[in-house]
Amino acid sequence: MKRDVIVAVSFLLAFLFMAYALVYANVLGLGGAELRPLGEFYLSHSFAHEGLTSHSPEVVTAIVWNYRGFDTLFETFVFFLAIMGAFSVLRLTDEQEKLVKELEAREPHRQMDLIVRAITKLVVIMIVAISASIALHGHLTPGGGFQGGSAMAVASLLLFAAFSKFTLERKGLTVKHTVSAYALGLALILATVLAPVFLYGGKVLEINLLPGEMGLFNLDVGEYLAVTFGFLTVFLVLGVSEWIFKTVLRGEVND
Amino acid sequence: MIELHLIILAIVVSFGFVFSYLAMKEHDLLKALALSSVQSTFFALGFYILAAPDIVLAYLAIAVGAYTALVILAISKTERYEVGE
Repeated sequence: MKRDVIVAVSFLLAFLFMAYALVYANVLGLGGAELRPLGEFYLSHSFAHEGLTSHSPEVVTAIVWNYRGFDTLFETFVFFLAIMGAFSVLRLTDEQEKLVKELEAREPHRQMDLIVRAITKLVVIMIVAISASIALHGHLTPGGGFQGGSAMAVASLLLFAAFSKFTLERKGLTVKHTVSAYALGLALILATVLAPVFLYGGKVLEINLLPGEMGLFNLDVGEYLAVTFGFLTVFLVLGVSEWIFKTVLRGEVND
Repeated sequence: MIELHLIILAIVVSFGFVFSYLAMKEHDLLKALALSSVQSTFFALGFYILAAPDIVLAYLAIAVGAYTALVILAISKTERYEVGE
Protein backbone atom coordinates (compact mmCIF):
# COMPACT_ATOMS: atom_id res chain seq x y z
CA MET A 1 0.00 0.00 0.00
CA LYS A 2 2.88 2.34 0.81
CA ARG A 3 4.40 1.73 -2.62
CA ASP A 4 1.03 2.57 -4.19
CA VAL A 5 0.95 5.92 -2.44
CA ILE A 6 4.47 6.69 -3.65
CA VAL A 7 3.53 5.79 -7.23
CA ALA A 8 0.36 7.89 -7.01
CA VAL A 9 2.24 10.90 -5.63
CA SER A 10 4.91 10.64 -8.32
CA PHE A 11 2.20 10.51 -10.99
CA LEU A 12 0.69 13.58 -9.39
CA LEU A 13 4.01 15.44 -9.45
CA ALA A 14 4.62 14.47 -13.08
CA PHE A 15 1.16 15.68 -13.99
CA LEU A 16 1.59 18.98 -12.15
CA PHE A 17 4.95 19.48 -13.90
CA MET A 18 3.27 18.86 -17.27
CA ALA A 19 0.45 21.26 -16.40
CA TYR A 20 2.98 23.91 -15.37
CA ALA A 21 4.99 23.44 -18.55
CA LEU A 22 1.89 23.68 -20.75
CA VAL A 23 0.22 26.61 -19.05
CA TYR A 24 3.00 28.86 -17.82
CA ALA A 25 6.12 27.94 -19.83
CA ASN A 26 3.86 27.47 -22.92
CA VAL A 27 5.90 24.59 -24.33
CA LEU A 28 3.48 23.64 -27.11
CA GLY A 29 2.66 27.25 -28.04
CA LEU A 30 -1.05 26.93 -27.27
CA GLY A 31 -3.24 29.67 -25.88
CA GLY A 32 -2.92 33.36 -26.54
CA ALA A 33 -5.62 35.92 -27.15
CA GLU A 34 -5.87 35.62 -30.94
CA LEU A 35 -8.70 33.55 -32.41
CA ARG A 36 -7.72 30.55 -34.48
CA PRO A 37 -9.51 30.08 -37.84
CA LEU A 38 -11.56 27.11 -36.63
CA GLY A 39 -12.86 29.07 -33.62
CA GLU A 40 -13.74 31.99 -35.86
CA PHE A 41 -15.66 29.68 -38.21
CA TYR A 42 -17.71 28.22 -35.36
CA LEU A 43 -18.41 31.65 -33.87
CA SER A 44 -19.78 32.98 -37.14
CA HIS A 45 -21.54 29.81 -38.39
CA SER A 46 -22.72 28.03 -35.26
CA PHE A 47 -26.39 29.01 -35.53
CA ALA A 48 -26.79 28.32 -39.24
CA HIS A 49 -24.55 26.82 -41.89
CA GLU A 50 -25.57 27.47 -45.51
CA GLY A 51 -29.15 27.98 -44.40
CA LEU A 52 -29.32 24.66 -42.56
CA THR A 53 -30.32 25.13 -38.96
CA SER A 54 -32.03 23.16 -36.24
CA HIS A 55 -33.63 26.37 -34.90
CA SER A 56 -31.90 26.17 -31.55
CA PRO A 57 -31.21 29.51 -29.85
CA GLU A 58 -28.53 27.90 -27.68
CA VAL A 59 -25.03 27.49 -29.08
CA VAL A 60 -24.08 24.05 -27.72
CA THR A 61 -27.27 22.43 -28.99
CA ALA A 62 -27.02 24.38 -32.24
CA ILE A 63 -23.52 23.03 -32.91
CA VAL A 64 -24.50 19.51 -31.84
CA TRP A 65 -27.46 19.43 -34.23
CA ASN A 66 -26.12 21.50 -37.12
CA TYR A 67 -22.81 19.69 -37.34
CA ARG A 68 -23.21 16.41 -35.48
CA GLY A 69 -26.86 15.46 -35.99
CA PHE A 70 -26.07 12.14 -37.64
CA ASP A 71 -23.52 11.40 -34.95
CA THR A 72 -26.21 11.79 -32.29
CA LEU A 73 -28.63 9.66 -34.30
CA PHE A 74 -26.08 6.86 -34.61
CA GLU A 75 -25.38 7.07 -30.87
CA THR A 76 -29.03 6.20 -30.39
CA PHE A 77 -28.58 3.17 -32.64
CA VAL A 78 -25.48 2.05 -30.74
CA PHE A 79 -27.41 2.35 -27.48
CA PHE A 80 -30.23 0.31 -29.04
CA LEU A 81 -27.77 -2.44 -30.03
CA ALA A 82 -26.27 -2.50 -26.51
CA ILE A 83 -29.70 -2.81 -24.86
CA MET A 84 -30.87 -5.47 -27.29
CA GLY A 85 -27.59 -7.38 -26.81
CA ALA A 86 -28.01 -7.48 -23.02
CA PHE A 87 -31.67 -8.32 -23.42
CA SER A 88 -31.09 -11.23 -25.80
CA VAL A 89 -28.16 -12.69 -23.84
CA LEU A 90 -30.27 -12.78 -20.64
CA ARG A 91 -33.58 -13.77 -22.28
CA LEU A 92 -35.84 -16.45 -20.83
CA THR A 93 -38.73 -18.40 -22.27
CA ASP A 94 -42.26 -17.88 -20.95
CA GLU A 95 -42.11 -21.03 -18.80
CA GLN A 96 -38.77 -20.01 -17.35
CA GLU A 97 -40.16 -16.57 -16.53
CA LYS A 98 -43.04 -18.21 -14.70
CA LEU A 99 -40.49 -20.21 -12.70
CA VAL A 100 -38.54 -17.02 -11.91
CA LYS A 101 -41.74 -15.43 -10.58
CA GLU A 102 -42.40 -18.43 -8.32
CA LEU A 103 -38.85 -18.50 -6.98
CA GLU A 104 -38.82 -14.75 -6.38
CA ALA A 105 -42.03 -15.05 -4.35
CA ARG A 106 -40.19 -17.47 -2.07
CA GLU A 107 -37.31 -15.08 -1.34
CA PRO A 108 -37.30 -13.59 2.18
CA HIS A 109 -38.98 -10.22 2.35
CA ARG A 110 -36.47 -7.52 3.26
CA GLN A 111 -37.11 -3.85 3.78
CA MET A 112 -34.97 -0.75 4.14
CA ASP A 113 -35.22 1.65 7.07
CA LEU A 114 -38.16 4.07 7.25
CA ILE A 115 -35.76 7.05 7.02
CA VAL A 116 -34.14 5.73 3.86
CA ARG A 117 -37.50 5.04 2.24
CA ALA A 118 -38.99 8.43 3.12
CA ILE A 119 -35.95 10.38 1.91
CA THR A 120 -35.71 8.33 -1.27
CA LYS A 121 -39.30 9.23 -2.10
CA LEU A 122 -38.51 12.95 -1.76
CA VAL A 123 -35.25 12.75 -3.71
CA VAL A 124 -36.82 10.72 -6.50
CA ILE A 125 -39.49 13.38 -7.02
CA MET A 126 -36.79 16.05 -7.24
CA ILE A 127 -34.68 14.04 -9.69
CA VAL A 128 -37.70 13.38 -11.90
CA ALA A 129 -38.50 17.10 -11.99
CA ILE A 130 -34.87 18.03 -12.80
CA SER A 131 -34.56 15.38 -15.49
CA ALA A 132 -37.79 16.51 -17.11
CA SER A 133 -36.57 20.10 -17.13
CA ILE A 134 -33.22 19.04 -18.64
CA ALA A 135 -34.92 17.00 -21.35
CA LEU A 136 -37.86 19.25 -22.22
CA HIS A 137 -35.69 22.40 -22.34
CA GLY A 138 -33.11 20.50 -24.35
CA HIS A 139 -33.42 22.87 -27.32
CA LEU A 140 -33.06 26.00 -25.11
CA THR A 141 -30.43 25.07 -22.52
CA PRO A 142 -27.43 22.74 -22.46
CA GLY A 143 -28.49 19.14 -22.06
CA GLY A 144 -31.15 17.23 -23.86
CA GLY A 145 -32.76 13.86 -24.18
CA PHE A 146 -29.75 11.74 -23.35
CA GLN A 147 -28.76 13.77 -20.29
CA GLY A 148 -32.32 13.98 -18.99
CA GLY A 149 -32.89 10.30 -19.65
CA SER A 150 -29.79 9.21 -17.78
CA ALA A 151 -30.78 11.39 -14.79
CA MET A 152 -34.20 9.73 -14.87
CA ALA A 153 -32.51 6.31 -14.99
CA VAL A 154 -30.73 7.27 -11.75
CA ALA A 155 -34.13 8.03 -10.16
CA SER A 156 -35.42 4.59 -11.08
CA LEU A 157 -32.18 3.08 -9.73
CA LEU A 158 -32.72 4.78 -6.37
CA LEU A 159 -36.19 3.23 -6.19
CA PHE A 160 -34.62 -0.07 -7.17
CA ALA A 161 -32.07 0.15 -4.36
CA ALA A 162 -34.22 1.59 -1.56
CA PHE A 163 -37.36 -0.45 -2.23
CA SER A 164 -36.94 -3.43 -4.54
CA LYS A 165 -37.38 -4.73 -8.03
CA PHE A 166 -40.80 -6.02 -7.01
CA THR A 167 -42.00 -2.57 -5.96
CA LEU A 168 -41.25 -1.31 -9.46
CA GLU A 169 -42.97 -4.32 -11.00
CA ARG A 170 -46.02 -3.83 -8.78
CA LYS A 171 -46.24 -0.23 -9.97
CA GLY A 172 -46.46 -1.49 -13.55
CA LEU A 173 -42.83 -1.14 -14.61
CA THR A 174 -42.44 -4.72 -15.80
CA VAL A 175 -39.96 -5.60 -18.54
CA LYS A 176 -42.76 -5.82 -21.11
CA HIS A 177 -43.95 -2.30 -20.35
CA THR A 178 -40.48 -0.77 -20.29
CA VAL A 179 -39.57 -2.36 -23.61
CA SER A 180 -42.80 -1.02 -25.11
CA ALA A 181 -42.03 2.49 -23.83
CA TYR A 182 -38.50 2.17 -25.23
CA ALA A 183 -39.93 1.22 -28.62
CA LEU A 184 -42.30 4.21 -28.42
CA GLY A 185 -39.37 6.57 -27.88
CA LEU A 186 -37.45 5.04 -30.79
CA ALA A 187 -40.55 5.29 -32.99
CA LEU A 188 -40.88 8.99 -32.14
CA ILE A 189 -37.22 9.54 -33.08
CA LEU A 190 -37.60 7.63 -36.36
CA ALA A 191 -40.81 9.49 -37.23
CA THR A 192 -39.14 12.85 -36.62
CA VAL A 193 -36.10 11.87 -38.63
CA LEU A 194 -38.13 10.59 -41.58
CA ALA A 195 -40.88 13.23 -41.50
CA PRO A 196 -38.94 15.76 -43.66
CA VAL A 197 -38.54 13.13 -46.40
CA PHE A 198 -42.19 12.17 -46.63
CA LEU A 199 -43.92 15.44 -45.73
CA TYR A 200 -41.66 18.07 -47.30
CA GLY A 201 -39.51 16.18 -49.78
CA GLY A 202 -36.30 17.02 -47.99
CA LYS A 203 -33.43 14.85 -46.81
CA VAL A 204 -33.21 12.54 -43.82
CA LEU A 205 -32.78 14.51 -40.56
CA GLU A 206 -33.44 17.85 -42.28
CA ILE A 207 -35.49 18.95 -39.27
CA ASN A 208 -35.35 22.65 -40.16
CA LEU A 209 -38.20 21.94 -42.59
CA LEU A 210 -40.54 21.12 -39.71
CA PRO A 211 -42.39 24.13 -38.24
CA GLY A 212 -40.52 26.01 -35.51
CA GLU A 213 -38.54 24.04 -32.96
CA MET A 214 -40.78 21.01 -33.28
CA GLY A 215 -38.13 18.73 -34.78
CA LEU A 216 -35.62 19.30 -32.02
CA PHE A 217 -38.27 19.05 -29.30
CA ASN A 218 -39.57 15.75 -30.67
CA LEU A 219 -36.07 14.32 -30.85
CA ASP A 220 -35.45 15.39 -27.25
CA VAL A 221 -38.63 13.78 -25.98
CA GLY A 222 -38.00 10.61 -27.99
CA GLU A 223 -34.45 10.28 -26.72
CA TYR A 224 -35.64 10.97 -23.15
CA LEU A 225 -38.13 8.10 -23.33
CA ALA A 226 -35.68 5.80 -25.08
CA VAL A 227 -32.77 6.33 -22.68
CA THR A 228 -34.91 6.19 -19.51
CA PHE A 229 -36.68 2.99 -20.41
CA GLY A 230 -33.66 1.44 -22.11
CA PHE A 231 -31.64 1.70 -18.91
CA LEU A 232 -34.59 0.55 -16.81
CA THR A 233 -35.00 -2.53 -19.03
CA VAL A 234 -31.38 -3.52 -18.50
CA PHE A 235 -31.64 -2.98 -14.74
CA LEU A 236 -34.80 -5.09 -14.52
CA VAL A 237 -33.25 -7.88 -16.58
CA LEU A 238 -30.00 -7.84 -14.61
CA GLY A 239 -31.84 -7.51 -11.29
CA VAL A 240 -32.91 -11.17 -11.19
CA SER A 241 -30.89 -12.84 -8.42
CA GLU A 242 -28.06 -15.03 -9.60
CA TRP A 243 -29.14 -18.18 -7.76
CA ILE A 244 -32.62 -17.93 -9.28
CA PHE A 245 -31.15 -17.53 -12.73
CA LYS A 246 -28.86 -20.52 -12.26
CA THR A 247 -31.62 -22.69 -10.84
CA VAL A 248 -33.91 -21.88 -13.73
CA LEU A 249 -31.24 -22.44 -16.37
CA ARG A 250 -30.27 -25.79 -14.90
CA GLY A 251 -33.93 -26.75 -14.56
CA GLU A 252 -33.44 -27.94 -10.99
CA VAL A 253 -36.71 -26.90 -9.42
CA ASN A 254 -38.23 -29.28 -6.92
CA ASP A 255 -41.17 -28.15 -4.86
CA MET B 1 -0.90 35.49 -16.02
CA ILE B 2 -2.03 33.31 -13.14
CA GLU B 3 -5.49 32.05 -13.96
CA LEU B 4 -7.41 30.59 -11.05
CA HIS B 5 -9.67 28.30 -13.03
CA LEU B 6 -6.72 26.63 -14.74
CA ILE B 7 -5.11 25.92 -11.36
CA ILE B 8 -8.37 24.44 -10.08
CA LEU B 9 -8.60 22.38 -13.28
CA ALA B 10 -5.07 21.00 -12.79
CA ILE B 11 -5.76 20.11 -9.15
CA VAL B 12 -9.12 18.49 -9.89
CA VAL B 13 -7.87 16.43 -12.83
CA SER B 14 -4.78 15.27 -10.96
CA PHE B 15 -6.95 14.14 -8.05
CA GLY B 16 -9.03 12.21 -10.57
CA PHE B 17 -5.84 10.69 -11.93
CA VAL B 18 -4.73 9.55 -8.45
CA PHE B 19 -8.14 8.02 -7.72
CA SER B 20 -8.17 6.15 -11.03
CA TYR B 21 -4.73 4.71 -10.17
CA LEU B 22 -5.98 3.63 -6.72
CA ALA B 23 -9.07 2.07 -8.33
CA MET B 24 -6.88 0.02 -10.63
CA LYS B 25 -4.72 -1.25 -7.77
CA GLU B 26 -7.64 -2.17 -5.48
CA HIS B 27 -8.46 -5.88 -5.17
CA ASP B 28 -11.84 -5.41 -3.49
CA LEU B 29 -14.03 -4.70 -6.51
CA LEU B 30 -16.69 -2.76 -4.58
CA LYS B 31 -14.05 -0.45 -3.11
CA ALA B 32 -12.52 -0.05 -6.57
CA LEU B 33 -15.95 0.95 -7.86
CA ALA B 34 -16.34 3.58 -5.13
CA LEU B 35 -12.89 4.97 -5.94
CA SER B 36 -13.73 5.10 -9.64
CA SER B 37 -16.93 7.03 -8.95
CA VAL B 38 -14.93 9.55 -6.88
CA GLN B 39 -12.63 9.89 -9.90
CA SER B 40 -15.66 10.51 -12.14
CA THR B 41 -16.87 13.25 -9.82
CA PHE B 42 -13.51 15.02 -10.11
CA PHE B 43 -13.53 14.66 -13.90
CA ALA B 44 -17.07 16.07 -13.99
CA LEU B 45 -15.80 19.15 -12.11
CA GLY B 46 -13.04 19.37 -14.71
CA PHE B 47 -15.57 19.30 -17.55
CA TYR B 48 -17.51 22.06 -15.82
CA ILE B 49 -14.40 24.24 -15.66
CA LEU B 50 -13.77 23.49 -19.33
CA ALA B 51 -17.25 24.99 -20.00
CA ALA B 52 -18.97 21.84 -21.25
CA PRO B 53 -22.20 21.80 -19.20
CA ASP B 54 -23.96 19.24 -21.38
CA ILE B 55 -21.12 16.76 -20.85
CA VAL B 56 -21.29 17.36 -17.08
CA LEU B 57 -24.99 16.47 -16.98
CA ALA B 58 -24.49 13.23 -18.90
CA TYR B 59 -21.19 12.29 -17.26
CA LEU B 60 -22.40 12.62 -13.67
CA ALA B 61 -25.58 10.65 -14.24
CA ILE B 62 -23.84 7.90 -16.21
CA ALA B 63 -20.53 7.57 -14.38
CA VAL B 64 -21.75 7.97 -10.81
CA GLY B 65 -25.25 6.53 -11.17
CA ALA B 66 -25.86 4.12 -14.01
CA TYR B 67 -22.34 2.75 -14.50
CA THR B 68 -21.86 2.11 -10.78
CA ALA B 69 -25.20 0.36 -10.51
CA LEU B 70 -24.55 -1.82 -13.57
CA VAL B 71 -21.15 -2.88 -12.23
CA ILE B 72 -22.61 -3.58 -8.76
CA LEU B 73 -25.21 -5.83 -10.43
CA ALA B 74 -22.39 -7.51 -12.37
CA ILE B 75 -20.28 -7.98 -9.21
CA SER B 76 -23.27 -9.48 -7.40
CA LYS B 77 -23.26 -12.18 -10.07
CA THR B 78 -19.56 -13.03 -9.59
CA GLU B 79 -17.16 -12.67 -6.65
CA ARG B 80 -16.31 -9.57 -4.71
CA TYR B 81 -12.55 -10.08 -4.41
CA GLU B 82 -10.05 -10.22 -7.23
CA VAL B 83 -7.69 -13.15 -6.59
CA GLY B 84 -4.45 -14.29 -8.21
CA GLU B 85 -1.95 -12.33 -10.18
